[in-house]
Formats: sequence, C-alpha cells, structure tokens
Amino acid sequence: MTTHRASNAANWLREKLTEQSDYEEITLGASSQIQLQYLKSVTNSNLVFQYVVVPSYEMADVEAYEAYIATFPGTGKADDLQKLIEGILEGYTLVSIGPNSYLFNSVKVESSGVGEAINEAIVQGPRDAFSENIEMNLNLIRRRYQTSELKVETMTLGSLSRTAIAIVYDQERVDSSVLQQVKDRLKRVKIDILQSAGELEKYISPHRFRIFPNMVVTERPDRVVLNLTEGKVAILMDTTGFAIIAPAVFTDFFSAMDDKIQIPLVSQFLKLIRYVGLFITLTLPGLYVTFASYNPEILKSQLVLLIAGSRAAVPYPSFMEVFFMLLMMEFLTEASLRLPKAIGPTATTVGGLILGQAATQAGLVSNIMIILVSAVAISNFVIPLSMMGYTIRVLKYIIVLTAMLFGVVGIMVSVVGIIMYLSDVRSFGKPYFRLTLWESKEKVGHQHGKS
Amino acid sequence: MVSRRYYYYLFLMSAVINIINLVPRVLIFTRFDGVFWSILLAVAYGSLTMYMFTRLIIKFEGQGFPEIFNTYLPKGVVIPLLILYSIFWFVAGSIMLLSFVDITLRFISPDISARAVMTGFLILVVGASRFKTTSILYATEIVLLLSFPAMVFILIKALINPAFNWDSVLQVLTYLWTKPKLVTVTGASFAFTGYVNLAIFNRSFNNLTLKLRHFWLVPVSGLLILLVTLLVPIGYHGSIGVEDHVYSWFSTADSLRMETFIVERVLYLFYITYLSMSLVMVVIYWHVGLELFKGCFNEKEDKKDSGDKETDTGKKSRKNQWIEAILLFTVSASMIYLTERINQVRLAQAGQWFLNLRFFSETFLILLLMFLVWRKRRSARR
Repeated sequence: MTTHRASNAANWLREKLTEQSDYEEITLGASSQIQLQYLKSVTNSNLVFQYVVVPSYEMADVEAYEAYIATFPGTGKADDLQKLIEGILEGYTLVSIGPNSYLFNSVKVESSGVGEAINEAIVQGPRDAFSENIEMNLNLIRRRYQTSELKVETMTLGSLSRTAIAIVYDQERVDSSVLQQVKDRLKRVKIDILQSAGELEKYISPHRFRIFPNMVVTERPDRVVLNLTEGKVAILMDTTGFAIIAPAVFTDFFSAMDDKIQIPLVSQFLKLIRYVGLFITLTLPGLYVTFASYNPEILKSQLVLLIAGSRAAVPYPSFMEVFFMLLMMEFLTEASLRLPKAIGPTATTVGGLILGQAATQAGLVSNIMIILVSAVAISNFVIPLSMMGYTIRVLKYIIVLTAMLFGVVGIMVSVVGIIMYLSDVRSFGKPYFRLTLWESKEKVGHQHGKS
Repeated sequence: MVSRRYYYYLFLMSAVINIINLVPRVLIFTRFDGVFWSILLAVAYGSLTMYMFTRLIIKFEGQGFPEIFNTYLPKGVVIPLLILYSIFWFVAGSIMLLSFVDITLRFISPDISARAVMTGFLILVVGASRFKTTSILYATEIVLLLSFPAMVFILIKALINPAFNWDSVLQVLTYLWTKPKLVTVTGASFAFTGYVNLAIFNRSFNNLTLKLRHFWLVPVSGLLILLVTLLVPIGYHGSIGVEDHVYSWFSTADSLRMETFIVERVLYLFYITYLSMSLVMVVIYWHVGLELFKGCFNEKEDKKDSGDKETDTGKKSRKNQWIEAILLFTVSASMIYLTERINQVRLAQAGQWFLNLRFFSETFLILLLMFLVWRKRRSARR
C-alpha cells in the first residue's frame, strides 16, 4: 500500500513537471532505490549534493540512510500531494527511498544580504535595513528583541506568488483588538501576486477614500522593534525589504530614528523643524497666490511691492504661475527618481538651474516664485517617511485651489478642514491625529524612554 | 471614550469665541447700566448651571439626549423636544456663520460675493459636522491649542500698548454701583454655554467627574474673559466711541500694529485665529443639531452610528445618510438664501432674541434633566 503511494507521488510529480526545463531527476545507490526529484532553479544544489548525495554513498545500508534523511532538520514526510507540489515549487527536494518519500529542505535563497537603509538614512545609529529574505528579517528583529513574548505567526498570501507573511508582535504589550483586525484583514486578502509591502498595505486598508497613509512602511528593523515595544503589530513579508507597522498615528510619520539618539532638546528641535517644514510646504504656494493676487494688504507694504515688482513681467495671474512651477518641480522630482544614477544629476542641473534662471529672465515666472518653489520642495523632503511626503505633495494643491478661489479665507478653511479630516481618520480603530501629551504617562505605561 | 479634559475644551472654546459678535455688543450697550453686577451674576449663574447640568448628565453615562429622552419620556414628547432643540443648535451655528461672513466681507475681502464665502464655509462645516463625535473633540483640542498662543499674544499686545486708554476703563468702572439688567445677564452667561453641547458629546465621556479643584477655574476664567471682552474695546475706542462699532473686537484688533512682523496689522492674526475657532464651534453646534435631529428617527440602539466605538469603521446606515443629507442640504440652502437677505441690524436682533431664548431654554433643560434623573432613580429602584 505504502509502496504504491510513494511511487505514485514520484510518478505524479514527474508527470506534473516533466515539461519544465529546470526539472531534474537523479537515481542514487547501487540498487537504484533512492530517487531525487527537484527544480534546479529554486534548489540549492550544494545542499543536495553535500547532505543527500554524498551520504548515500558513504552509508552502506539503505535503512540507515533513510533514518538519516528522516531525522535531518527541516525534512518532512511527503504524504499530501498538494503540499508536495508546493514544497517542490518552493525549492524542496523529493527524496524517495523505496516505499517512503521525504521532502528535504534545500531552498535556495537569492538575496542581497543585509544592506544599508537607503530610504530612511540616519546620521548615527544602526544602518542595517531589511533584506528580501524573511528569515533574515526575522533574525534582525529577534536579535534586537530577545524575549519569549515576541510572537511570530506565519501565513502565505497570493494564490500564485505564495508570498510568506509573518505577523510579529509582543504578546504582552500588543493591543489585542488591533491584532485581531490585522489578522482578519490579512485573511480577507484575495490576490494572485503580492510583491511589495506597499501593495499589501493597500489591500489591508479599509476600502474608503483616504489620502493619509494608515500604516507605516519601513525598511528599518530598529523602527519595527521600537514600535513593537509600543504594542504595535508588524507585518514582515518575503521578497521585499520593507515591513508594515500597524496601527500608525500621524506623528509616527514625523519621527526619525535619529530622535532617540540625539540630545532631547536637539531632537525636540528637529521634530519642530519637521512640523514647520510641513506647514511651509503645505501653505506657502497658497499664501503666494493670496498675497500676490487676493489679499495683498495683509503683508507689509514693502513686501507686497517686492512681490508685485518681481511679478511685473509675468503675463498671467499668480495661480497659473504657481501651478506651472509646482508642476515643473513635480516633473523634476519624478524624473530624478526614475533616471539612471549616471544622468540623474544632469537632469537636476538642467531642470533646476537653467530652467529656473532662464524662466525668470524670460519673464515667465517671478524670482520670488523660484525661491518659493525650492523652499516648498526642500521642506517637503524634511518629512522622514516618504509615504507621508507623497500625501503632502498632493495636499498642497488643494490649498492652492482654495487660495485661488477664496484667498486667505480659503487657506484657513482648508487648514481647519485638514485638521478636522485628520481627526476623523482611524487607523485600526485608533485615533490617527490627536494630542497625547497629557496621556502618555498614565495610559501607555509601556513606552519607556519615548521621546 | 475620551479623557475628561475635552469637557473643559468645550467650555473654553465657546467662552473665547464670545468676543466675536453677540456678547460684547450687549455688554457695551449696558456699560453704564449695571454691567459689572450683571457680569458677576452671569458668572455665578453660568457656573452654577454648568455645574448642575454636568452633574445631572453624568448620571447618564455615555448617553446623549436622544437616548436619554427615548428611554424616559413618551414618544409624543420626545420628537417635538428633539426637533426644537435641534433647531436651537442649528440657529446658534448659523448666527455665528452669518456674522463671520459679514466680518469677512467687511474686514478681509470686501469684493467677494457673500454667497461665495458662505459656500466655502458651508463645505467645511457640512462635511465636518457629519464626523464622529470624538473626532470633533480631538479637532477642538488641536485648533484651540494652535490658536492659544495667538490669543495670548493679541491680549498682551493690546494691554501693553501705550494707546490703551485706562482712563476710559476707570470711567466705566465708576458705574459699578448700578442695578444689573436681565438682558446683560442673559448675554454674559452665554460665555458659559459650552457645556450644553454635552447633550450629544456626553456620548464620548464615560468617566466624567467634576472636581472642585479643577472646576474653580471655570468661574475665574469666565469672569476674566467677560471683563476683557468689555474693557479692552473701551480702552481703545473710549467709553462713548465704543458703541459706534458693530464688531468692536475686530475694530480693536485693527487698532493694533505689529511693527516687526511681516504681517503688520494684528487684525489678520485675530481674524484667522477666530475664524478657525468659530468654524470648529459651528461644527460642534451643527453636529449636536444633526445628532439631535437624527435622534427623532432612531431608537437608542442606533447610537453606535456616532462612531465612538474603537473598532468602528465609520459606516452609517443608509437611512441615517439620507436623513443627514436632506437635513444638511435644507440648512445649507437656507443659509445661502439668508446670506444675501439678512443685514447687520436684523442679524443683531436675531442674535439678541437667540441669547434671551437660550437663557430660558437652558434653565428649562436643567429642570428637565432633574426630572429625568428622578425618573431614572425611580425606575432603578423598582
């Protein structure tokens, strides 16, 4: 009976895979009792050679060899055809010894190793970033969080990509309602291919109109660890160097990991700088429209005259000017992102220097507008997490629009509107935007040393 | 459920907002006619009603008026009551909006159409009054804290200015011993009216307690705010000239100058601070009005629609969405209609009527709550 089933498995597999060019089948041993089947492309052949092929010649006895294979760490019996094919596709080797067959773990992992954090670079502090390998990422976290309370639950998502997902949390500190929601939402995800953390973030967000990111996507293990101590849930994903942290609050997007390292006063100052940057990048274009066209009387008369003088040659209204220049700036940012490293600097030079200089001389835009656009662009990049940066990039157009229609009243109404909207956002049932200055001590007692 | 401090924000918000329109006018109108004793009476009455109202509504933990009324009153009484009070709250917000449109036209953008300004305000207010109750509290805190430095700055700027005429203030002070007037008391006690919003906002509180070591701040800050409201405009415009100004505080702010800042006139700082705060205040009023109105149609189980549960996704039932849409559309349409129709005089008259009616209806509310607490106790004993 068992003989029948095992040879059945080998035959069934052969039928399934014989068309594949990377399918390989080896017969070992004097009596041809041992058979190996695997896919070359995902299998580490060194492992197979060293631990499967070589011992088969060293051990005289087939029984001893079978016992050796069966007890090898990571090896399991292959008795379910579904599991068998999944294992083979993942990189396992099917070892059939007489009547029995085993799945030997020989998964080959191509990954770039632990690299340096690029998107969230910091001055001091750990430089390592997540890699494309989930095991390695878990290792990075475990090494920083050595307690048995740290729980890792794994699952796979994507009917074709079969991407491994790990839900990581501190059992003692985690908010159970959040954890439950994360699990529920992950279970509800029905997709074919899952390739990046940002994608996953989109799938597990509630399907409503939203403009602010609901979860932090980070490449820094130390950020994940810090958030785990705050009772949050991290979702790690294979094949991408990013992790998702849920829930997120607005201020999370304005904290860099540097803040923990700096002297408290300095880090407070840096935080303040980021919020000032946020305010400037949001309102400056709108304020320019207001001051140039709508309510010039608000500013000091010298300043108004300066703006008007600088705009003297410009033949169209200020909002056109603002839209032109903001669009040019968006093009520049996008272009320098996508361009190969070698020509990237050229584009910025051509765009920034020559275009800006020539445009003012031609009288298409005012000098002040050029200064303003660069100030807006620079202050936008002050925001440490890029997802929030993108949101703010979009949001400032709304303010320009309302400034165009209602002047300073429009700016104020939209700022209050944004505050109100932010207050209404919930991330996994947690308020997204709210002051916790007076509560941090009583309620969130676990956040030791949170700056 | 939110922390207790939000309760005080509700009070503080409506107290500082007062200086925009109705209250200074009534105070200045009776400045030679017992205004000081009226203020004292109003502070005493206002704090007392605030204290009593809060003590009473704490008994109904986490419940707003619709739930309370529906439980302890017959249906035939509940619906007229809720509709009446809903109208009250909508009128409160509308008067504030209408006066702010007027102020905008007068001080900021004289050449824009009133309807355009009103539409801009309405987009925000209509959108935001449908938000969750707790969300509005969070926004209140943030807007209030952001505005606070500007308010303090303006006040200090006003008081240390050499042009501030203390003699006029002293002159008005000589009318200390005059008999108080009811109209001033009702007007001045409006400064304390923020607590009434607990009618709906009580849904967000479950651990609200009034401690005297916090509560003493209420009469003190109320008294200071009312005195500042009355005396600073007098210091700038003189004891007689002050009555020539419709929006006396805006005229006062316009008398101040920031010599070393890129914005020279304090008026603009004052305007944007008070604009953002009054928009939030209107959102609060209309939210209460909206929820009270919805209460006529829903039994108490539908309470979770206000979205205070932590896991709530903010989805509302189809029926509630329709009620909200129809009601808000009606109110907005009538507001746009009114902006062109109403003039300053009629707005001021309406405001005065509102102040007086509010005084009595709030007293009635407290009596009603006493009755309800009594009924609750009786039903609990059974």
